[in-house]
Amino acid sequence: MFACLRGTADADEGLCAVARDFSPRVMRVAPGELLVDVSGLGRLVGAPDDIARELRRAVTEADVEATVAVASTQTAARVLARVPCQTTIADAPVTVLRELESLPPGIHVRDRERPYETLERWGIRTLTELAALPAADLSSRLGRRGAALQQLANGRDARPFVPDADVPRFIERLELEWPVDALEPLSFVFARLLDSLSVTLERMDRGAAAIHLDLRLTDRSTDTRVLQLPAPMRDPRVLRTLLLLDLESRPPCGVDGGREISVDIVTIEIDPAPSRITQFSLLERAVPSPETVSTLVARLSALVGESRVGSPRVVDSHQPGAFVMEPFTAVVARDAAPRSDAAAPTVHGLRRQRIPPAIRVNVSGGRPVYLAPSRRGIPSGAVVQSAGPWRSSGGWWLTAATTGSQSPRSGRWDRSEWDIALARGEVCRIFQDRSTGCWFFEGLYD
Amino acid sequence: MRAALEAILRDHKLDVTLTSSAPWAEVPPDRLAAIGQGDLDGALGGGLRRGHVSEIVGPASSGRTTLVMRALAAATARGEVAAIVDVCDTFDAASAEAHGVDLPRVLWVRDTGDPVRALKAFSLVLQAGNFGLVVFDLADVPPAMVRRFPFTTWMRAARMIEGSDTVALIVAQDRTARSPLGVTVSLTTSSPRWVGGAASRARLFAGVRPEPRVVRAR
Repeated sequence: MFACLRGTADADEGLCAVARDFSPRVMRVAPGELLVDVSGLGRLVGAPDDIARELRRAVTEADVEATVAVASTQTAARVLARVPCQTTIADAPVTVLRELESLPPGIHVRDRERPYETLERWGIRTLTELAALPAADLSSRLGRRGAALQQLANGRDARPFVPDADVPRFIERLELEWPVDALEPLSFVFARLLDSLSVTLERMDRGAAAIHLDLRLTDRSTDTRVLQLPAPMRDPRVLRTLLLLDLESRPPCGVDGGREISVDIVTIEIDPAPSRITQFSLLERAVPSPETVSTLVARLSALVGESRVGSPRVVDSHQPGAFVMEPFTAVVARDAAPRSDAAAPTVHGLRRQRIPPAIRVNVSGGRPVYLAPSRRGIPSGAVVQSAGPWRSSGGWWLTAATTGSQSPRSGRWDRSEWDIALARGEVCRIFQDRSTGCWFFEGLYD
Repeated sequence: MRAALEAILRDHKLDVTLTSSAPWAEVPPDRLAAIGQGDLDGALGGGLRRGHVSEIVGPASSGRTTLVMRALAAATARGEVAAIVDVCDTFDAASAEAHGVDLPRVLWVRDTGDPVRALKAFSLVLQAGNFGLVVFDLADVPPAMVRRFPFTTWMRAARMIEGSDTVALIVAQDRTARSPLGVTVSLTTSSPRWVGGAASRARLFAGVRPEPRVVRAR
């Protein structure tokens, strides 16, 4: 007994999910068309009509548009899926067989249509009429295609049912006898689950692209977290370390209303990806492997904070010091040589204050002449040389609503910059906010 | 007797620390990491020794950061991966890019001013291995605070990268540590260069030219 689910090509995945809920034996026959072996469902669901009804209900619940038909053969099910208003294939038009035939891909369109034109001239319009024709005469006039069409009209299958290879789910689950409320015992649980997952991944030549960790807590809530990995990997020690570091930085356990929350059930699911093939070079220096980088970045993130580890990228903006942190991956494809102004006369290293501290500056003749001591680490003293003011402004078009910030001045700047040399030898960049008149220390040239 | 002793020391790669021989010329070029400043690389015999801890020391505005950025630019230009552990979060990405640093190849660890925590981060990066250059920027940390680290800290760091291709570079105000074959690049405050006259409105700061002096094991 076979069921045919026929929808549009983009509903393929949804149909596949519905089909696999009913039977593991699923065969994709065309884009958006699946055959399901429902032979064993008689005792569970009932008669073929009941199976078809259940399948239609599941398809509707999955919000997929598709027609469903159940019949004793693959061909009959596929024909009925194309004529949903009929209960048997007897009155189905002959033209429905066009999509069911197996023809060579390079066949000319006229050759493709010729048997149907002949049958139309003969007045053969339904499958019953085609099936009733003498097989030998049909074969002598239409050749092997005529015989094949008659077989399809009789509802016979041209090829056996070969189910698609099952898509495995890499998932492991462990219910703990006693709840765990510390990382160390949890690491043993992870090791046990990840070891078996790693073996399965290796057998399938797959790596983990992402790890889904579900921890059911004793308060009946579930802590769900997803770790996206920079490259497919399957070393259980690396995966366990990454999970532990993530839990260390964002612990799920705590005290809720004076009650300890512990982990009751641990579920780990892995999103598989084709495993990585690495070609090392004798001529290039080795770089840290993705596993090493993942572990290192996770450890550093746990130490100094997630937003404080990565690779900087200079933002295309005139805002002083604008940059964003991007994930560090170590393996970088070099599209172009990095921009270098090292030969320019004004390139110098700047030690920038991330939040410029306010300073007191004495001004004479429109130029800064003295930096009063403000706090430790900020240079002070008489200004012996200066260059400026260099005025810059920007972000004036931004509002608190567009930046999403509470501060009304977020993203805006309007200032006069000065490069000054102090008597003790320090060279600094300071600036005056033109809207408030306050002076700030931006950084030290070094 | 002396010859036999020196031979044993040389076999155990201890000759340059305990004897007067200094085989700088024997170092193969692939064991040196050029900084990218011709005169300094010449004085270093080609660059900093891989597998050793070196340091750049000097007062503020002596050109330490400029040298670090040149070293980072040279390392990333060679296709290496570099890391900077920035204790006081003062690394300027725009300046680095202007120096030619390939920023996606740089792992930047931004601490908030805790040298002990930054030291742990430095150790983690060294332990990970395969970084061409690892910079530990202590330039804004008072020397007294740096001296509180146990001396074994730096010996441990040297052992971590011994025999590897990594150059560990400490940037500080005062001499901190270096391994036996590492060097100290000492910088002094130099007068800044300006373009344009003192009274000119178009006057421009043209940078600080580092004046390095190399101090190494005998």
